[in-house]
Amino acid sequence: MTLTRQVIAIGALLFNALVVSAGAQVPYERLVKAESDPQNWLTYAGSYKSHRYSALDLINRKNVSSLKLAWAYQIQRAGIIETSPLVVDGVMYLSEPPSTVTALDVRSGRPLWTYSPNIPPDVIVIGSPPVNRGVAILDDLVYVGTVHAHLIALDAKSGTVRWDIVVGDNKQGYYLTLAPLALEGKVVVGVSGAETGIRGFIDAYDAKTGKLAWRTYTIPAPGEPGFETWGKGNGWQTGGGSTWLTGSFDPELNLLYWATGNPAPDWNADNRPGDNLYTDAVLALDPSNGKIKWHFQFTPEDVHDWDSNETMVLFEAQIGGRERKLLAQANRNGFYYVLDRATGEFLTGVPYAKQTWADGLDAKGRPIRKKGISPSLEGTLVFPNIQGASNWFSPSYSPQTKLFYQAAREMGTIYYKGAAVYKPGTAFTGGGGRYVNGDDASGAVRALDATTGKMKWEFPLLSPGWTSLLSTAGGLVFGGSEEGNFFALDAETGKPLWDTQIGGAVRGIPMSYAVDGKQYVAIAAGFTLFVFAL
Amino acid sequence: MRIALLSLALVMTLPALAAAQSAGDVAEGKKLFGGLCVTCHGFDGAGGAGPPLNRPKLLSAPDDASLRNIIAEGIPNRGMPRVRRVTDEEMRHLMAYVRSIGKSARAAVPGDAVRGGQIYGKLGCAACHIINGSGGSLGPELTNIGWIRGPDYLRQSVLEPAARLPQGNLPIPARGYNEYLPVTVVLRDGAEVRGIRLNEDVFTIQIRDTTGKFHSVRKADAAVVRKEIGASLMPSFANRLAAGEIDDLVAYLSRLGGAL
Repeated sequence: MTLTRQVIAIGALLFNALVVSAGAQVPYERLVKAESDPQNWLTYAGSYKSHRYSALDLINRKNVSSLKLAWAYQIQRAGIIETSPLVVDGVMYLSEPPSTVTALDVRSGRPLWTYSPNIPPDVIVIGSPPVNRGVAILDDLVYVGTVHAHLIALDAKSGTVRWDIVVGDNKQGYYLTLAPLALEGKVVVGVSGAETGIRGFIDAYDAKTGKLAWRTYTIPAPGEPGFETWGKGNGWQTGGGSTWLTGSFDPELNLLYWATGNPAPDWNADNRPGDNLYTDAVLALDPSNGKIKWHFQFTPEDVHDWDSNETMVLFEAQIGGRERKLLAQANRNGFYYVLDRATGEFLTGVPYAKQTWADGLDAKGRPIRKKGISPSLEGTLVFPNIQGASNWFSPSYSPQTKLFYQAAREMGTIYYKGAAVYKPGTAFTGGGGRYVNGDDASGAVRALDATTGKMKWEFPLLSPGWTSLLSTAGGLVFGGSEEGNFFALDAETGKPLWDTQIGGAVRGIPMSYAVDGKQYVAIAAGFTLFVFAL
Repeated sequence: MRIALLSLALVMTLPALAAAQSAGDVAEGKKLFGGLCVTCHGFDGAGGAGPPLNRPKLLSAPDDASLRNIIAEGIPNRGMPRVRRVTDEEMRHLMAYVRSIGKSARAAVPGDAVRGGQIYGKLGCAACHIINGSGGSLGPELTNIGWIRGPDYLRQSVLEPAARLPQGNLPIPARGYNEYLPVTVVLRDGAEVRGIRLNEDVFTIQIRDTTGKFHSVRKADAAVVRKEIGASLMPSFANRLAAGEIDDLVAYLSRLGGAL
């Protein structure tokens, strides 16, 4: 019996025990231990630490070359799939664009139920395609955020609506694409909409009723600390700071980590002189009341649309002879950061992709900006590109290799500054950019030493990818390409061990699960979810 | 009486005001155009890798609604991106400028198009280019080339074909990638294939060789995959044509598709 089989067996026993004792399908205690329950995939990033790592090793270096399609599921309405499915006890919960949730049989791929909210035809989605990145589950409820800015709780067994609340006013440009994060008794969401000049916030709702527990704005109001970083005008009121990707959580420190997006208008800072706290930052929050315990800002006074919402990986390592609790992020601005997650202290920051805007970071992690990098009327070429060296797609961290795996986008953009006129629910961006793409751009899957950011290996991609990565105890890293390749790399060396062509840009987020002693790997590309097994 | 006078004053000032706004719009639009559009559409909209805009009628933007839509959204999967979002005012400026170019007098394309057509035939261009259904398919189709390229770009293509390969005219390969890019592949057994890249992904490359034969290559099976960035399979005609003949050929190409 392999370790994995033991884990599966123990997991099954635990599950049976839980069903008998608690009744609820996925109690909070089960989410806390998600990583030791690898036959299921219980949270967006696989665990509160956001490792996107599977402890399953049934598919491994030795046998991955025999991987084959087990089943496929085609979504109901054409759109980009940027989702990470969840798997709970034989059922997969898949979100489809724009805000549909479908439950599937993990063995056969046959749908069990599907739910689509009534999205008004004049829904405002400015700043991204109308996508959905996943659902959350807690007890017997499945939670989905929608592009018309609702948060909806569904009965996990039938897809029936238990409650449906409005998070933000879509007429103002608020919308939701992220997977909610379920904590003890609460479900936490953030919002998209900085491209329409929203004022960003993070919300926690009572998981059973949908009643608002707390709201923390990412832009301080007059009188609050940080307000002085917005100049003397009214720029703060339309300052952006979206919160559009799922955060991470440390139950021991009792800190919730949520990152924030760009200030608005994106490419024109005339009406927001200053650092623009807390945009492009990570906030450490007390999950009981939403109070900010510490913050760290990656890109002060951003004029390149380098949101800092990217997934934050929590891990532990020895630094200076003592064990530290760390938080790492490969930021859209081209730097890889490591912070002490108890205090927010900056420890390391090094480029992981080509960047031409900063002469490095100072001792506190603040960028040392070069001159002549601001957007202009005639255009200014800067690396990384307008969509960043990274973006919403997930990195992976393997506790086995201690490596942080990240797809990097090597591309420049000619950045333009333009006028910005605020009109609720319309684009408030103040410029934009033209990609330097095609044969002049590329991408790579990079393995970084998680503590130092030093690159151990890279696997080149033809074009700047949008691929999320999954690492596994089988010594593998799964990823994809814009050209439709899906592949497995050796987690230690980056050597390709298996690949297949699945016919559409790989924008889905890979995950793994097991059932009946068999491991599966799921990935969405084009308009289809593909599930592979041996 | 006061009312009548006021009305008269309004009648007199309104057209003047509109004209002044419009001149200002054109000037502001020219500044925006200089940053956002000039790289492809050329200075004063004379064309380049993108279509000339200095003509009374634009193929894809015959009316203001379609022009606004193209500036706002680009032309998906073709060469024209939405470079950036613009405000309503910026849109008004850009549209005013683009329409003003269409009304301005165009520099005449020198040369004799009829003679240019004969030179096209003599040089054997049809071996690689299709016009109105006839010709070979190694190079780009030229049926409507007069609409989609400016005379300067066409001249450069004849003299230095490798200087700028087309991009964004074909849905495959994806926008931004060089079309008709020469590639050389040396297989492990020493066999060499040279042709144009049809498509590529992380693990494979698809090639049409100079005889028109199709090759599918898995990169791991090749000893060398060389993408010849900066090269073209089309020879330069700089030393084979007199200056007047080049003018004639460019005049012929510029009229293709009924563009002039």
